[in-house]
Amino acid sequence: MRDLMRLLRLYAPYRRWIFGAIGLGLVTVLANFGLLALSGWFLASAGLVGLAGYAAQNAFNFYAPAAGVRFFATVRVLARYGGRLADHEATLRLLAKLRVAVYARLEPLAPAALSEDRSGELLSRLVADVDRLGDFFLRVISPFAVAGLGSVVMVLVFATFSPVAAVALMLGLSLAGVAVPLTSLLLGQQHSRRVTNIQDSIRSDLVDSVQGMTELLIYDASQTMINQVHGQSQDLTTVQGSLARVAGFGAALNLLASGMTVTSILVIGAVLVMAHRLAGPDSALLALGAMAAFEAVSPLPAAFQNLGGIRESARRVFELTDRAALVREPEVSPRKPTHLDLRLSDVRLRYPGQAGWALDGLNLVMEPGEHISILGRSGAGKTSLVYLLLRFADYQQGSATIGGIELRDIRGDDLRSLFTVVSERTQIFAGSIRHNLLIAKPDANEAELWQALQMAQLSVFVRQQPDGLDTLLGEAGAKISGGEARRISLARAALRQTPFLILDEPTEGLDPATASNFGTALASIASSRTVITITHRLENIHDADRVAVLRAGRIIEDGRFGVLRAAGGPVSHLAKLQEKLVHV
Amino acid sequence: MTGSIERRLIAAGSATRKSLATAIVLGFSGGMATIVQAVLLARIVTAVVFYHTPWTSLSHDVIALVGVFFLRSVLTYGAEVAAYHAAAAAKVSLRKSLLQHVFSLGPAYLANERSGELAASLLDGIETLEPFLARYLPQMALVVMLPMAILAVVFRLDLISGLVLLVSGPIIPLFMVLVGHQAEAINRRQWRKLLSMSAHFLDAVQGITTLKLFGRVRDEIELIMRISDDYRRTTMASLRVAFLTSAVLEFFASLSIALAAVLFGARLIHGDIGFFSAFLVLLLVPEFFLPLRALATHYHARMSALAAAQRIFEVLDAEGPMRWGKALPPPGPLSIVCDSISIEYRKGAYAVRDVNVVFPPGSVTAIVGRTGAGKSSLVAAILGFVAPSAGRLLIGNIVPLTTVDRDAWWRLIAYVPQSPRLFAGTLAENLRLARRDADVTTIRSALARARLLDDVDAMPSGIETIIGTGGSGLSAGQIQRLALARAFLKDAPILILDEATAHLDLETEAEIVETIAELARGRTSIMIAHRLATVRRSDRILVLDGGRIVESGNHSALMAQGGAYTRLLIKSRATACAT
Repeated sequence: MRDLMRLLRLYAPYRRWIFGAIGLGLVTVLANFGLLALSGWFLASAGLVGLAGYAAQNAFNFYAPAAGVRFFATVRVLARYGGRLADHEATLRLLAKLRVAVYARLEPLAPAALSEDRSGELLSRLVADVDRLGDFFLRVISPFAVAGLGSVVMVLVFATFSPVAAVALMLGLSLAGVAVPLTSLLLGQQHSRRVTNIQDSIRSDLVDSVQGMTELLIYDASQTMINQVHGQSQDLTTVQGSLARVAGFGAALNLLASGMTVTSILVIGAVLVMAHRLAGPDSALLALGAMAAFEAVSPLPAAFQNLGGIRESARRVFELTDRAALVREPEVSPRKPTHLDLRLSDVRLRYPGQAGWALDGLNLVMEPGEHISILGRSGAGKTSLVYLLLRFADYQQGSATIGGIELRDIRGDDLRSLFTVVSERTQIFAGSIRHNLLIAKPDANEAELWQALQMAQLSVFVRQQPDGLDTLLGEAGAKISGGEARRISLARAALRQTPFLILDEPTEGLDPATASNFGTALASIASSRTVITITHRLENIHDADRVAVLRAGRIIEDGRFGVLRAAGGPVSHLAKLQEKLVHV
Repeated sequence: MTGSIERRLIAAGSATRKSLATAIVLGFSGGMATIVQAVLLARIVTAVVFYHTPWTSLSHDVIALVGVFFLRSVLTYGAEVAAYHAAAAAKVSLRKSLLQHVFSLGPAYLANERSGELAASLLDGIETLEPFLARYLPQMALVVMLPMAILAVVFRLDLISGLVLLVSGPIIPLFMVLVGHQAEAINRRQWRKLLSMSAHFLDAVQGITTLKLFGRVRDEIELIMRISDDYRRTTMASLRVAFLTSAVLEFFASLSIALAAVLFGARLIHGDIGFFSAFLVLLLVPEFFLPLRALATHYHARMSALAAAQRIFEVLDAEGPMRWGKALPPPGPLSIVCDSISIEYRKGAYAVRDVNVVFPPGSVTAIVGRTGAGKSSLVAAILGFVAPSAGRLLIGNIVPLTTVDRDAWWRLIAYVPQSPRLFAGTLAENLRLARRDADVTTIRSALARARLLDDVDAMPSGIETIIGTGGSGLSAGQIQRLALARAFLKDAPILILDEATAHLDLETEAEIVETIAELARGRTSIMIAHRLATVRRSDRILVLDGGRIVESGNHSALMAQGGAYTRLLIKSRATACAT
């Protein structure tokens, strides 16, 4: 419930749209009620007048109720049309606001606080959840508000004729609008959860089937997998059958509730008319009015269903956005240092909730313009070192400075403006090549873009494309190869003349020939910058190059490759392996 | 186009025609009961208003009315359950045949499909068919039947109102078609826009780290705002038209009620018609429009069902790449012969061109070459996932692969890919994929030969340790070893390795190379590789370039030749250690 209140607070700026939409919804419901109730009264009155003779016919004001009927009919159509438009306008405005709000909250969390889950799934689920939260107004608030307010008005109208009938109507409406939907929701809750679970498990089996298809076929397990999915699919259908029965039960009860209410109001009317406490036509008004009243609460069962799902989505979204950022930012940065040397001494870094140090007394000194390759197996602390430098994670002990200023005293954005990262994980965005390059330097002109492409050895490729720089790359760069994607990130690096360059496994996943060409392109961009290359291979490393070996969060060897190769330590071990495993 | 998809979809649901008929019958009976209910209501109101009948003498009608409400409740319940049954069987059988078909299409088909999208269309797509089969179709029948029945009753009561309904009835669908036609086009365009907007947000969310690195998050927020605003404006413009469809319906429904009330009012005053008939018609008019309104609410369901059905039928209509026969492959160690094989994925775009090569029984062949040289395509053809556009594959020198029984062929092959898939379940279950009946001793010995046994024994539940989708909890090296253990367990005469060490770091790879060599010994082995260590030991090396074999021979012969192989080697050695 608290999550939903938070959600509501986000709606404050769009108060006018929301009240407008609810108001129009209310008018629609009441016009419908008025149309039927007045029509019933009008017919009954006219019938009585017809029996009463000429004098009465002349005395009867025919035009006022006839005009009322036409008025309600027109208002119903217009209000419904306007109400639906207002509903959607409000929904779309809210969705935009929600997206922006959530996105802004994600920024300080990325990437370290988001990475503990399998990230693709986490983030795509987030997008679906935010979409669902956008429906909160349309599918929950609006139906509840309209039904609730409408019911109050209709019950009050009834009360002016007969308090007893009003009470009957109130009971009937709350039964059909609240009690029955809540009951079926509770009855169906267990089944709904089972449906979600089975669907999740089918989905994961399907992903297994699709991604592991070759192995399933070769190992003759495809039929087993098909049968497994089929079995789950049958289970799913069985549970959905139980849900359908619950829904049918709810619908039946609802109908019964409205039927019983209408019947009892008829009886009440009959009794009151007999006792001359109610005019005959008024009893017709009450009967038809009661029937129309139940239309107002008919969207509530669906609204209750949606409420559960949206609460679940809200919980997940807020759980994510409420995570603590790993880094606290200072308000302002000190002035930019002139001599950009990097000094890490006895740095220890630990992630929240983890027992061990990810960086455990790391020492590293780099003078401006120096290049280093840091070697390490997975889990040695390579990613943590990059996170440390980019302020994606905070260090708890030791000192880390650039130009003599502690990293934690510099604002993250200012610090990161000194770095460019090229890695396998660099995102290529849907959109054009130009769009992807301008991310690195929004004000770059055409000549700069081409020069960057040239340095990344991509200009020939781009020139070959019919649309040139405006070639679309597809979702996550689906339309280009891994090597081309890597070069786009290299061209970005060329555009962004930062003093530091971090190459995080820059040739990972590329075939040897492509990797070697990529290495050549890299060299021209790397010159005159401080370059930190993170790698687990020795390709492209020369004798005069500086290498360091990272193991268990600290640097255990650091020096010239040629010297270390002969020294009999970790580097010479790696060099021997490399010789044996050389690429073909 | 839409029409034919709709017909196919209806045909797909035909297995449950009985339930559909039941749903329609129950829906129709419910409508009939509503007419009876209206008659009873009109009688009671007439009695109360005009005859001041005490309610005790109305008790028969009141009890009948209560009875009708009960009947309608039961019918509603029945219709709901029948509607569920109308879709349930169709969904289950569609899902099964779709998955079966995807498997028969094989991995070559999937290479062009985003796997996530395919999984989604299998699951969510089939679920979206439900509202169409269970709601829209029965409603389609009711939308004709119920108004006709009501019209018949109204005509008996009053000619004029009957004529009003008769005229406005068919006009509505006509108007709806006119307005709806335009609305549907707009709707579809909007739908695509919505998808692309969601895709943009997903893109931005997934790329947030990259944007943060470039200090561009704030700009992105503005962009999201702008795109959403844009979308809102165009959507609202089109909704203004789209909502006209339902406004037309509302208009006629309201108009008919108002018309009936006003006309009847005038006639009642002059005593031209009895109150009972007038009131009954007033009660029936909304019911006349109700089925149409219900149909309109399922209209979106129809659209998304048809969109999903189109995707589903596209997959079902795709043809599998290979024809297979019934012949059993010859026994014993097998040779594989590629006889002038070419593979084209599109006409004229050759992945493999005119390859002649023999893989002798029990020998190890390495295939090397750059990305796009045709290595994977050649192997896919041998596995039977891609059909050569020209030439033949022969098994044991004589039997064409196209005459061989598919499953019998795959039983002879063990396969280790670059990124082996681990399936949700225990380690043992993942290994038993290769041999169903393997006992613990056999599994442990396979693990030992893959040098994974110590790691597994160190895990808390040993071979019963549960490993998740994607193999979470295991390192890349362990996953690769598990795949090798699978191959050991299968003990097949043919072994195919597709870049089995490409993702590993130096030390892990060095540890695995020996295991691979041991696995390959004595089998007809084909390995796509780019490591000297793997390649040097093989009996023969094929160098592929542009889909052709440019060189073949063992390591020393090729080195002596000084051709393409030497160039590949020198280039990578040069970049590896410039000593």
